[in-house]
Amino acid sequence: MDWRWDFTFDVVLPKMWEAAGVTVWATLASFALALVGGLILMLLKTHRSKWVSRPATEVIEVIRATPLLVQIFFLFFLLPEIGITLPPLTTGILAIGLYNSALCAEVYRAGFQAVPKGQWEACIALNMSTYRTFKDVIIPQSLPPIVPALGNYLVAIFKETPLLSFVAVAEIMQVSKLIGAEYYRFTEAITIAGLFFLVMSLIAAFLIRIVENYVKRSILH
Amino acid sequence: MTHPMIQFDKVLKAYGALKVLEDLDFSVDKGEVVSIIGPSGSGKTTVLRVLMTLEPIQGGTMYVDGEPLNRMNVDGQLVDASKAHISRIRSKLGMVFQNFNLFPHMTALQNCIESPIYTQGKSKAEATDEAMRLLDMVGLADKAGHYPSQLSGGQQQRVAIARTLAMHPEVLLFDEPTSALDPEMVGEVLQVIRDLANSGNYTILLVTHQMGFAREVSDRVCFFDGGKMVEQGRPDDLFGNPQNQRLQQFLSKVLEAG
Repeated sequence: MDWRWDFTFDVVLPKMWEAAGVTVWATLASFALALVGGLILMLLKTHRSKWVSRPATEVIEVIRATPLLVQIFFLFFLLPEIGITLPPLTTGILAIGLYNSALCAEVYRAGFQAVPKGQWEACIALNMSTYRTFKDVIIPQSLPPIVPALGNYLVAIFKETPLLSFVAVAEIMQVSKLIGAEYYRFTEAITIAGLFFLVMSLIAAFLIRIVENYVKRSILH
Repeated sequence: MTHPMIQFDKVLKAYGALKVLEDLDFSVDKGEVVSIIGPSGSGKTTVLRVLMTLEPIQGGTMYVDGEPLNRMNVDGQLVDASKAHISRIRSKLGMVFQNFNLFPHMTALQNCIESPIYTQGKSKAEATDEAMRLLDMVGLADKAGHYPSQLSGGQQQRVAIARTLAMHPEVLLFDEPTSALDPEMVGEVLQVIRDLANSGNYTILLVTHQMGFAREVSDRVCFFDGGKMVEQGRPDDLFGNPQNQRLQQFLSKVLEAG
Protein backbone atom coordinates (compact mmCIF):
# COMPACT_ATOMS: atom_id res chain seq x y z
CA MET A 1 0.00 0.00 0.00
CA ASP A 2 1.23 3.43 -0.90
CA TRP A 3 1.00 5.67 2.19
CA ARG A 4 2.57 9.16 2.19
CA TRP A 5 3.21 10.68 5.61
CA ASP A 6 4.08 14.14 4.27
CA PHE A 7 0.77 14.25 2.41
CA THR A 8 -1.01 13.02 5.54
CA PHE A 9 0.44 15.73 7.75
CA ASP A 10 0.56 18.63 5.30
CA VAL A 11 -2.75 18.21 3.48
CA VAL A 12 -5.06 15.63 5.03
CA LEU A 13 -4.89 16.32 8.76
CA PRO A 14 -5.25 20.14 8.62
CA LYS A 15 -8.31 19.87 6.38
CA MET A 16 -9.83 17.06 8.38
CA TRP A 17 -9.25 18.72 11.72
CA GLU A 18 -11.89 21.29 10.89
CA ALA A 19 -14.20 18.64 9.41
CA ALA A 20 -13.90 16.58 12.59
CA GLY A 21 -15.26 19.58 14.47
CA VAL A 22 -18.27 19.69 12.15
CA THR A 23 -18.90 15.98 12.71
CA VAL A 24 -18.71 16.33 16.49
CA TRP A 25 -20.97 19.39 16.43
CA ALA A 26 -23.50 17.65 14.19
CA THR A 27 -23.46 14.65 16.55
CA LEU A 28 -23.95 16.63 19.74
CA ALA A 29 -26.61 18.93 18.29
CA SER A 30 -28.56 16.00 16.80
CA PHE A 31 -28.28 14.10 20.07
CA ALA A 32 -29.55 17.06 22.10
CA LEU A 33 -32.46 17.40 19.67
CA ALA A 34 -33.19 13.68 19.94
CA LEU A 35 -33.12 13.78 23.75
CA VAL A 36 -35.67 16.60 23.95
CA GLY A 37 -37.70 15.54 20.90
CA GLY A 38 -37.88 11.95 22.13
CA LEU A 39 -39.23 13.05 25.49
CA ILE A 40 -41.86 15.25 23.81
CA LEU A 41 -42.90 12.50 21.39
CA MET A 42 -43.17 10.02 24.26
CA LEU A 43 -45.33 12.40 26.32
CA LEU A 44 -47.58 13.01 23.29
CA LYS A 45 -47.78 9.30 22.51
CA THR A 46 -48.82 8.41 26.06
CA HIS A 47 -51.24 11.35 26.30
CA ARG A 48 -54.70 10.58 27.66
CA SER A 49 -56.50 12.02 24.62
CA LYS A 50 -56.63 9.83 21.50
CA TRP A 51 -56.54 13.02 19.39
CA VAL A 52 -53.02 13.62 20.65
CA SER A 53 -51.66 10.11 21.12
CA ARG A 54 -52.81 8.75 17.74
CA PRO A 55 -51.02 11.34 15.54
CA ALA A 56 -47.90 11.09 17.68
CA THR A 57 -47.90 7.31 17.30
CA GLU A 58 -48.29 7.64 13.53
CA VAL A 59 -45.48 10.19 13.26
CA ILE A 60 -43.17 7.89 15.22
CA GLU A 61 -44.10 4.97 12.97
CA VAL A 62 -43.47 6.95 9.77
CA ILE A 63 -40.11 8.19 10.98
CA ARG A 64 -39.02 4.73 12.12
CA ALA A 65 -40.19 3.02 8.95
CA THR A 66 -38.30 5.19 6.45
CA PRO A 67 -34.52 5.39 5.89
CA LEU A 68 -32.68 8.29 7.45
CA LEU A 69 -31.05 9.16 4.13
CA VAL A 70 -34.48 9.55 2.53
CA GLN A 71 -35.52 11.84 5.36
CA ILE A 72 -32.39 13.95 4.98
CA PHE A 73 -33.11 14.38 1.25
CA PHE A 74 -36.76 15.00 2.00
CA LEU A 75 -36.04 17.87 4.39
CA PHE A 76 -33.21 19.19 2.24
CA PHE A 77 -35.39 19.51 -0.89
CA LEU A 78 -38.80 19.98 0.73
CA LEU A 79 -38.15 22.74 3.27
CA PRO A 80 -37.07 25.27 0.59
CA GLU A 81 -40.31 24.44 -1.28
CA ILE A 82 -42.33 25.72 1.65
CA GLY A 83 -40.13 28.79 2.00
CA ILE A 84 -37.76 27.58 4.72
CA THR A 85 -34.17 27.78 3.58
CA LEU A 86 -31.67 26.48 6.10
CA PRO A 87 -27.96 25.77 5.76
CA PRO A 88 -27.35 22.10 4.81
CA LEU A 89 -25.74 21.41 8.20
CA THR A 90 -28.82 22.68 10.06
CA THR A 91 -31.14 20.67 7.84
CA GLY A 92 -28.99 17.60 8.46
CA ILE A 93 -29.00 18.08 12.23
CA LEU A 94 -32.77 18.49 12.09
CA ALA A 95 -33.20 15.26 10.11
CA ILE A 96 -30.87 13.17 12.27
CA GLY A 97 -32.34 14.68 15.44
CA LEU A 98 -35.90 13.99 14.35
CA TYR A 99 -35.12 10.44 13.25
CA ASN A 100 -33.52 9.64 16.58
CA SER A 101 -36.30 11.40 18.51
CA ALA A 102 -38.63 8.68 17.32
CA LEU A 103 -36.19 6.01 18.49
CA CYS A 104 -35.48 7.72 21.83
CA ALA A 105 -39.21 8.06 22.50
CA GLU A 106 -39.35 4.28 22.82
CA VAL A 107 -36.40 4.30 25.20
CA TYR A 108 -38.11 6.82 27.47
CA ARG A 109 -41.40 4.94 27.32
CA ALA A 110 -39.76 1.67 28.29
CA GLY A 111 -37.85 3.41 31.08
CA PHE A 112 -40.92 5.10 32.55
CA GLN A 113 -42.95 1.92 32.34
CA ALA A 114 -40.25 0.09 34.27
CA VAL A 115 -41.00 2.32 37.29
CA PRO A 116 -43.49 0.38 39.46
CA LYS A 117 -47.08 1.59 39.47
CA GLY A 118 -46.92 1.98 43.24
CA GLN A 119 -44.48 4.87 42.83
CA TRP A 120 -47.01 6.85 40.78
CA GLU A 121 -49.69 6.03 43.34
CA ALA A 122 -47.53 7.20 46.23
CA CYS A 123 -47.09 10.52 44.42
CA ILE A 124 -50.86 10.88 44.05
CA ALA A 125 -51.43 9.96 47.68
CA LEU A 126 -48.86 12.59 48.70
CA ASN A 127 -50.67 15.09 46.46
CA MET A 128 -47.50 15.85 44.47
CA SER A 129 -47.69 17.91 41.28
CA THR A 130 -47.12 16.25 37.92
CA TYR A 131 -43.88 18.20 37.57
CA ARG A 132 -42.48 17.00 40.92
CA THR A 133 -43.72 13.47 40.29
CA PHE A 134 -41.67 13.29 37.09
CA LYS A 135 -38.67 15.30 38.22
CA ASP A 136 -38.10 13.81 41.67
CA VAL A 137 -39.62 10.34 41.51
CA ILE A 138 -40.18 8.91 38.04
CA ILE A 139 -37.26 10.26 36.01
CA PRO A 140 -34.55 9.46 38.58
CA GLN A 141 -35.80 5.89 38.85
CA SER A 142 -36.07 5.41 35.10
CA LEU A 143 -32.51 6.65 34.44
CA PRO A 144 -30.64 3.37 35.12
CA PRO A 145 -32.30 1.61 32.15
CA ILE A 146 -32.53 4.79 30.02
CA VAL A 147 -28.96 6.10 30.25
CA PRO A 148 -27.15 3.14 28.63
CA ALA A 149 -29.77 2.97 25.87
CA LEU A 150 -29.45 6.68 25.13
CA GLY A 151 -25.67 6.31 25.18
CA ASN A 152 -25.97 3.73 22.41
CA TYR A 153 -27.96 6.25 20.37
CA LEU A 154 -25.24 8.87 20.87
CA VAL A 155 -22.73 6.50 19.26
CA ALA A 156 -25.26 5.54 16.58
CA ILE A 157 -25.89 9.20 15.72
CA PHE A 158 -22.16 9.80 15.52
CA LYS A 159 -21.87 7.01 12.98
CA GLU A 160 -24.86 8.34 11.02
CA THR A 161 -23.32 11.77 10.43
CA PRO A 162 -21.44 10.67 7.24
CA LEU A 163 -24.88 10.58 5.60
CA LEU A 164 -24.68 14.39 5.69
CA SER A 165 -22.03 14.17 2.99
CA PHE A 166 -24.89 13.44 0.59
CA VAL A 167 -26.11 17.01 1.04
CA ALA A 168 -22.57 18.42 0.85
CA VAL A 169 -22.06 19.17 4.52
CA ALA A 170 -18.32 19.56 5.09
CA GLU A 171 -18.16 16.86 7.73
CA ILE A 172 -15.32 14.41 7.92
CA MET A 173 -16.54 11.95 5.26
CA GLN A 174 -17.32 14.67 2.76
CA VAL A 175 -13.95 16.33 3.28
CA SER A 176 -12.04 13.07 2.88
CA LYS A 177 -13.91 12.40 -0.38
CA LEU A 178 -13.03 15.91 -1.58
CA ILE A 179 -9.38 15.45 -0.68
CA GLY A 180 -9.38 12.20 -2.59
CA ALA A 181 -10.99 13.77 -5.63
CA GLU A 182 -8.66 16.76 -5.59
CA TYR A 183 -5.35 14.88 -5.20
CA TYR A 184 -6.39 11.51 -6.70
CA ARG A 185 -5.33 9.94 -3.37
CA PHE A 186 -7.97 8.30 -1.17
CA THR A 187 -5.83 6.05 1.04
CA GLU A 188 -4.80 8.55 3.71
CA ALA A 189 -8.02 10.55 4.00
CA ILE A 190 -10.40 7.59 4.12
CA THR A 191 -8.16 5.75 6.58
CA ILE A 192 -7.93 8.78 8.84
CA ALA A 193 -11.72 9.19 8.69
CA GLY A 194 -12.15 5.56 9.69
CA LEU A 195 -9.63 5.86 12.52
CA PHE A 196 -11.33 9.01 13.72
CA PHE A 197 -14.69 7.21 14.00
CA LEU A 198 -13.09 4.21 15.69
CA VAL A 199 -11.23 6.23 18.30
CA MET A 200 -14.11 8.60 19.03
CA SER A 201 -16.59 5.70 19.35
CA LEU A 202 -14.31 3.94 21.82
CA ILE A 203 -13.89 7.11 23.86
CA ALA A 204 -17.65 7.72 23.83
CA ALA A 205 -18.36 4.15 24.91
CA PHE A 206 -15.90 4.57 27.77
CA LEU A 207 -17.48 7.85 28.91
CA ILE A 208 -20.98 6.39 28.68
CA ARG A 209 -19.87 3.51 30.91
CA ILE A 210 -18.66 6.00 33.51
CA VAL A 211 -21.93 7.96 33.44
CA GLU A 212 -23.88 4.71 33.60
CA ASN A 213 -22.04 3.55 36.70
CA TYR A 214 -22.41 6.95 38.30
CA VAL A 215 -26.18 6.93 37.73
CA LYS A 216 -26.50 3.39 39.05
CA ARG A 217 -24.52 4.19 42.17
CA SER A 218 -26.34 7.41 42.98
CA ILE A 219 -29.87 6.07 42.38
CA LEU A 220 -29.85 2.39 43.27
CA HIS A 221 -28.58 1.84 46.77
CA MET B 1 -75.40 20.82 60.32
CA THR B 2 -72.86 18.11 60.84
CA HIS B 3 -71.63 16.05 57.96
CA PRO B 4 -69.67 12.81 57.79
CA MET B 5 -65.90 13.05 57.21
CA ILE B 6 -66.16 10.57 54.34
CA GLN B 7 -69.26 9.86 52.34
CA PHE B 8 -69.86 7.61 49.34
CA ASP B 9 -73.08 8.38 47.49
CA LYS B 10 -74.14 5.68 45.01
CA VAL B 11 -70.57 5.11 43.93
CA LEU B 12 -70.07 2.80 40.96
CA LYS B 13 -66.67 1.39 40.03
CA ALA B 14 -66.57 -0.98 37.08
CA TYR B 15 -63.97 -2.52 34.81
CA GLY B 16 -66.02 -2.93 31.65
CA ALA B 17 -68.97 -5.10 32.58
CA LEU B 18 -67.46 -6.16 35.89
CA LYS B 19 -68.85 -4.04 38.73
CA VAL B 20 -66.32 -3.86 41.55
CA LEU B 21 -68.39 -1.42 43.62
CA GLU B 22 -72.08 -1.17 42.97
CA ASP B 23 -74.16 1.80 44.16
CA LEU B 24 -72.11 2.04 47.30
CA ASP B 25 -73.54 4.22 50.07
CA PHE B 26 -71.13 4.45 52.94
CA SER B 27 -70.03 7.07 55.39
CA VAL B 28 -67.48 7.56 58.14
CA ASP B 29 -67.79 10.15 60.89
CA LYS B 30 -65.02 12.47 61.94
CA GLY B 31 -62.66 10.70 64.32
CA GLU B 32 -64.21 7.32 63.68
CA VAL B 33 -62.02 4.25 63.18
CA VAL B 34 -63.60 1.91 60.65
CA SER B 35 -62.23 -1.42 59.49
CA ILE B 36 -63.23 -3.02 56.23
CA ILE B 37 -63.02 -6.80 56.01
CA GLY B 38 -64.04 -9.25 53.34
CA PRO B 39 -62.80 -11.93 50.98
CA SER B 40 -60.41 -11.03 48.17
CA GLY B 41 -62.27 -9.56 45.21
CA SER B 42 -64.93 -8.12 47.51
CA GLY B 43 -64.02 -4.55 46.55
CA LYS B 44 -62.70 -3.60 49.98
CA THR B 45 -59.36 -2.27 48.73
CA THR B 46 -61.15 -0.53 45.86
CA VAL B 47 -63.02 1.61 48.38
CA LEU B 48 -59.70 3.11 49.49
CA ARG B 49 -58.25 3.33 45.98
CA VAL B 50 -61.15 5.26 44.47
CA LEU B 51 -61.29 7.57 47.49
CA MET B 52 -57.57 8.32 47.10
CA THR B 53 -58.32 9.03 43.39
CA LEU B 54 -55.91 6.32 42.28
CA GLU B 55 -58.69 5.04 40.05
CA PRO B 56 -61.64 6.85 38.47
CA ILE B 57 -65.20 5.93 39.35
CA GLN B 58 -67.94 5.50 36.79
CA GLY B 59 -70.82 6.92 38.80
CA GLY B 60 -71.84 8.58 42.04
CA THR B 61 -70.14 11.12 44.22
CA MET B 62 -67.60 10.93 47.01
CA TYR B 63 -67.52 13.62 49.71
CA VAL B 64 -64.69 14.53 52.03
CA ASP B 65 -65.56 16.69 55.01
CA GLY B 66 -68.79 17.74 53.33
CA GLU B 67 -67.20 18.74 50.02
CA PRO B 68 -67.51 16.68 46.85
CA LEU B 69 -64.19 15.14 45.77
CA ASN B 70 -64.72 13.86 42.24
CA ARG B 71 -67.20 16.61 41.43
CA MET B 72 -67.32 20.31 42.18
CA ASN B 73 -69.90 22.99 42.59
CA VAL B 74 -70.08 25.51 39.76
CA ASP B 75 -73.00 27.93 39.86
CA GLY B 76 -75.02 25.53 41.96
CA GLN B 77 -74.39 22.57 39.69
CA LEU B 78 -72.13 19.60 40.26
CA VAL B 79 -69.66 19.13 37.40
CA ASP B 80 -66.59 16.92 37.01
CA ALA B 81 -63.89 18.19 39.31
CA SER B 82 -60.83 20.03 38.01
CA LYS B 83 -57.32 18.89 38.87
CA ALA B 84 -56.91 21.80 41.28
CA HIS B 85 -60.15 20.97 43.07
CA ILE B 86 -59.25 17.30 43.43
CA SER B 87 -55.82 18.26 44.71
CA ARG B 88 -57.29 20.61 47.32
CA ILE B 89 -59.79 18.07 48.66
CA ARG B 90 -57.31 15.21 48.39
CA SER B 91 -54.91 17.03 50.71
CA LYS B 92 -57.14 15.93 53.60
CA LEU B 93 -56.44 12.28 52.79
CA GLY B 94 -53.35 10.21 53.39
CA MET B 95 -52.76 6.61 52.36
CA VAL B 96 -50.50 3.82 53.56
CA PHE B 97 -49.98 1.05 51.03
CA GLN B 98 -49.61 -2.69 51.33
CA ASN B 99 -46.22 -2.52 49.60
CA PHE B 100 -45.09 0.70 51.34
CA ASN B 101 -44.23 2.40 48.01
CA LEU B 102 -41.37 4.34 49.53
CA PHE B 103 -39.19 6.19 47.03
CA PRO B 104 -36.17 3.84 46.79
CA HIS B 105 -33.70 6.53 45.70
CA MET B 106 -34.41 8.73 48.73
CA THR B 107 -33.47 8.20 52.37
CA ALA B 108 -36.18 7.74 55.02
CA LEU B 109 -35.90 11.43 55.86
CA GLN B 110 -35.98 12.56 52.21
CA ASN B 111 -39.09 10.44 51.70
CA CYS B 112 -40.75 12.33 54.54
CA ILE B 113 -39.81 15.87 53.49
CA GLU B 114 -40.27 15.69 49.69
CA SER B 115 -43.93 16.54 49.51
CA PRO B 116 -44.11 18.86 52.56
CA ILE B 117 -41.43 21.00 50.88
CA TYR B 118 -42.64 20.94 47.29
CA THR B 119 -46.40 20.52 47.71
CA GLN B 120 -46.99 22.44 50.92
CA GLY B 121 -44.17 24.93 50.47
CA LYS B 122 -42.52 24.35 53.84
CA SER B 123 -38.90 25.35 54.38
CA LYS B 124 -36.42 22.51 54.40
CA ALA B 125 -35.57 23.14 58.06
CA GLU B 126 -39.20 23.13 59.11
CA ALA B 127 -40.01 20.00 57.11
CA THR B 128 -36.92 18.23 58.48
CA ASP B 129 -37.81 19.08 62.10
CA GLU B 130 -41.30 17.74 61.61
CA ALA B 131 -40.13 14.62 59.76
CA MET B 132 -37.59 13.83 62.49
CA ARG B 133 -40.31 14.18 65.11
CA LEU B 134 -42.51 11.75 63.17
CA LEU B 135 -39.68 9.29 62.53
CA ASP B 136 -38.97 9.42 66.25
CA MET B 137 -42.63 8.75 66.95
CA VAL B 138 -42.54 5.56 64.85
CA GLY B 139 -39.27 4.59 66.54
CA LEU B 140 -36.95 5.20 63.59
CA ALA B 141 -35.16 8.47 64.28
CA ASP B 142 -31.83 6.63 64.08
CA LYS B 143 -32.69 5.33 60.59
CA ALA B 144 -33.40 8.75 59.02
CA GLY B 145 -30.34 8.52 56.75
CA HIS B 146 -31.04 4.96 55.62
CA TYR B 147 -32.41 4.06 52.21
CA PRO B 148 -35.51 1.83 52.02
CA SER B 149 -33.42 -1.11 50.79
CA GLN B 150 -31.44 -0.91 54.02
CA LEU B 151 -34.59 -1.21 56.17
CA SER B 152 -36.72 -4.22 57.11
CA GLY B 153 -40.29 -4.43 55.83
CA GLY B 154 -41.69 -3.34 59.18
CA GLN B 155 -39.33 -0.38 59.30
CA GLN B 156 -40.21 0.60 55.72
CA GLN B 157 -43.89 0.56 56.54
CA ARG B 158 -43.30 2.72 59.62
CA VAL B 159 -41.37 5.22 57.49
CA ALA B 160 -44.27 5.17 55.02
CA ILE B 161 -46.66 6.01 57.88
CA ALA B 162 -44.40 8.88 58.99
CA ARG B 163 -44.27 10.13 55.38
CA THR B 164 -48.07 10.11 55.22
CA LEU B 165 -48.44 11.90 58.57
CA ALA B 166 -45.98 14.60 57.47
CA MET B 167 -48.66 15.86 55.07
CA HIS B 168 -51.08 16.46 57.97
CA PRO B 169 -54.01 14.49 56.59
CA GLU B 170 -57.26 14.34 58.53
CA VAL B 171 -58.18 10.94 57.15
CA LEU B 172 -55.80 7.97 57.10
CA LEU B 173 -56.39 5.13 54.66
CA PHE B 174 -54.57 1.90 55.47
CA ASP B 175 -54.61 -0.64 52.65
CA GLU B 176 -53.68 -4.01 54.17
CA PRO B 177 -50.68 -2.38 55.85
CA THR B 178 -49.29 -5.63 57.29
CA SER B 179 -50.07 -8.09 54.48
CA ALA B 180 -46.62 -7.84 52.88
CA LEU B 181 -44.75 -8.19 56.16
CA ASP B 182 -43.00 -11.15 57.74
CA PRO B 183 -45.01 -12.28 60.77
CA GLU B 184 -42.49 -11.02 63.32
CA MET B 185 -42.78 -7.48 61.96
CA VAL B 186 -46.56 -7.21 61.99
CA GLY B 187 -46.68 -6.24 65.66
CA GLU B 188 -44.48 -3.14 65.39
CA VAL B 189 -46.60 -1.72 62.57
CA LEU B 190 -49.89 -2.52 64.30
CA GLN B 191 -48.61 -0.75 67.42
CA VAL B 192 -48.08 2.46 65.41
CA ILE B 193 -51.56 2.21 63.89
CA ARG B 194 -53.05 1.45 67.32
CA ASP B 195 -51.47 4.61 68.72
CA LEU B 196 -52.83 6.67 65.84
CA ALA B 197 -56.31 5.19 66.30
CA ASN B 198 -56.24 5.84 70.04
CA SER B 199 -54.99 9.41 69.63
CA GLY B 200 -58.39 10.45 68.34
CA ASN B 201 -56.71 12.90 65.93
CA TYR B 202 -57.55 11.00 62.79
CA THR B 203 -60.45 9.49 60.95
CA ILE B 204 -59.20 6.05 59.97
CA LEU B 205 -60.28 3.60 57.29
CA LEU B 206 -58.45 0.31 57.60
CA VAL B 207 -58.62 -2.57 55.15
CA THR B 208 -57.19 -5.60 56.88
CA HIS B 209 -57.07 -9.35 57.26
CA GLN B 210 -56.05 -9.02 60.93
CA MET B 211 -59.44 -9.78 62.48
CA GLY B 212 -58.22 -9.54 66.06
CA PHE B 213 -56.70 -6.13 65.44
CA ALA B 214 -59.78 -4.88 63.59
CA ARG B 215 -61.93 -5.95 66.52
CA GLU B 216 -59.62 -4.25 68.99
CA VAL B 217 -59.12 -0.80 67.43
CA SER B 218 -62.30 -0.21 65.42
CA ASP B 219 -65.40 1.73 66.37
CA ARG B 220 -67.16 -0.03 63.53
CA VAL B 221 -66.41 -2.95 61.21
CA CYS B 222 -67.83 -3.29 57.69
CA PHE B 223 -68.02 -6.57 55.82
CA PHE B 224 -67.78 -6.30 52.04
CA ASP B 225 -68.68 -9.04 49.59
CA GLY B 226 -69.20 -8.90 45.84
CA GLY B 227 -68.82 -5.13 45.61
CA LYS B 228 -71.39 -4.39 48.30
CA MET B 229 -71.33 -3.67 51.97
CA VAL B 230 -73.22 -6.67 53.28
CA GLU B 231 -73.10 -6.04 57.01
CA GLN B 232 -71.70 -3.47 59.39
CA GLY B 233 -71.72 -2.96 63.10
CA ARG B 234 -69.81 -2.56 66.34
CA PRO B 235 -66.88 -4.99 66.40
CA ASP B 236 -68.26 -7.12 69.22
CA ASP B 237 -71.63 -7.44 67.50
CA LEU B 238 -70.24 -8.15 64.04
CA PHE B 239 -67.66 -10.69 65.17
CA GLY B 240 -69.70 -12.10 68.10
CA ASN B 241 -73.06 -12.32 66.45
CA PRO B 242 -72.79 -12.13 62.67
CA GLN B 243 -76.18 -12.02 60.94
CA ASN B 244 -75.31 -12.46 57.28
CA GLN B 245 -74.63 -15.97 56.10
CA ARG B 246 -71.68 -15.02 53.94
CA LEU B 247 -70.11 -13.15 56.84
CA GLN B 248 -70.56 -16.24 59.02
CA GLN B 249 -68.86 -18.38 56.39
CA PHE B 250 -66.08 -15.83 55.95
CA LEU B 251 -65.40 -15.57 59.67
CA SER B 252 -65.39 -19.31 60.20
CA LYS B 253 -62.87 -19.72 57.36
CA VAL B 254 -60.64 -16.94 58.62
CA LEU B 255 -60.75 -18.16 62.19
CA GLU B 256 -60.01 -21.71 61.06
CA ALA B 257 -56.90 -20.48 59.29
CA GLY B 258 -55.90 -18.91 62.58
